[in-house]
Amino acid sequence: MIAFVSGGARSGKSRYAESLARTWQAEAGGELYYLATAEAASHLADTEMARRIARHRHERGEDWTTLEEPVSLDVAIEKVADQGTVLLDCLTLWASQVLYASSLNEGAAVAMLRTVMHEVRSRALRLVVVSNDVNEGLPIRAAEVQRYVAFLQHLHHQVVTEAEVAVQVIAGCPVAWKGSVLEKGKLKGVPPCVP
Amino acid sequence: MQLFIGGAYAGKRAEVRHRFDNLVWHSAYDEMALEDWRASMLPGATLIVEGWERWLAAALAESDDDDRIRRHFAEALGSLARAERDHGLQVVLIMLEMGRGIVPLDARERRLRDLAGWLAQDAASVVERVWYVWNGLARSLR
Repeated sequence: MIAFVSGGARSGKSRYAESLARTWQAEAGGELYYLATAEAASHLADTEMARRIARHRHERGEDWTTLEEPVSLDVAIEKVADQGTVLLDCLTLWASQVLYASSLNEGAAVAMLRTVMHEVRSRALRLVVVSNDVNEGLPIRAAEVQRYVAFLQHLHHQVVTEAEVAVQVIAGCPVAWKGSVLEKGKLKGVPPCVP
Repeated sequence: MQLFIGGAYAGKRAEVRHRFDNLVWHSAYDEMALEDWRASMLPGATLIVEGWERWLAAALAESDDDDRIRRHFAEALGSLARAERDHGLQVVLIMLEMGRGIVPLDARERRLRDLAGWLAQDAASVVERVWYVWNGLARSLR
């Protein structure tokens, strides 16, 4: 099972993705994994980023196994035990690290992401992918920014096409685009707003 | 007439291609002027009109009067709606959502963002259906 969760900055998407991952983990019965694309150690000098990571970690709780991997998601997914539920947070940072801090080109990165999703399928893992919607503001003309937005959107399309569940988070509440239905005014298939 | 709106690279064109046949494109990205849309019109076809933010950018470089620009574009929308009715064609508008970032420092960019927002509202008020495209998926808002 694969889910795609996206939204704006501080929209509650991480917290929502956590509650979705917990729901799935309760069904599957395996371990919970937090696959962080941000490396805490490399951000020690950056107080704001270190605080951000600490806040996320505190809010998540203690029962997650943290895997940190800035680029090689295919290596990271192999560390997940059977029945595991993985929260990948986030695609936005991964995309920038692929473009600016790795030897991968866009094609190889897309292939890597597909390998990860294939691994999830073949081992019946559960994967929740978190990303950011950065494409709804005034377009920035700089070629590098255009390239980044196009690449990130391409990644989004790949995941959404493959995913059973796609959710846009607004103020902690899910707008379900794929994989759930409204029944008597209540969402079925994905958790409701996070409290 | 129908409106498809969404962010950059959201998959708006792919969604339109998926939903309509016999497409004719009238596009600012092909250096076409908005006023020339009648030349692209083909009875029985679906006329796609896109690149509105480019036409708006050109208009605001020519005039300081945003209200007049807004009215001018609203009139163009009205003409497109009438042509659809009178000539038996389907018109599809593709517009770029650009109002969700921070307020731009540059005055011209602020005007573009305002005009694009008003245009989308004006378009929504004259079309039968409004679609929001998000990461390759489309949802009907109306």
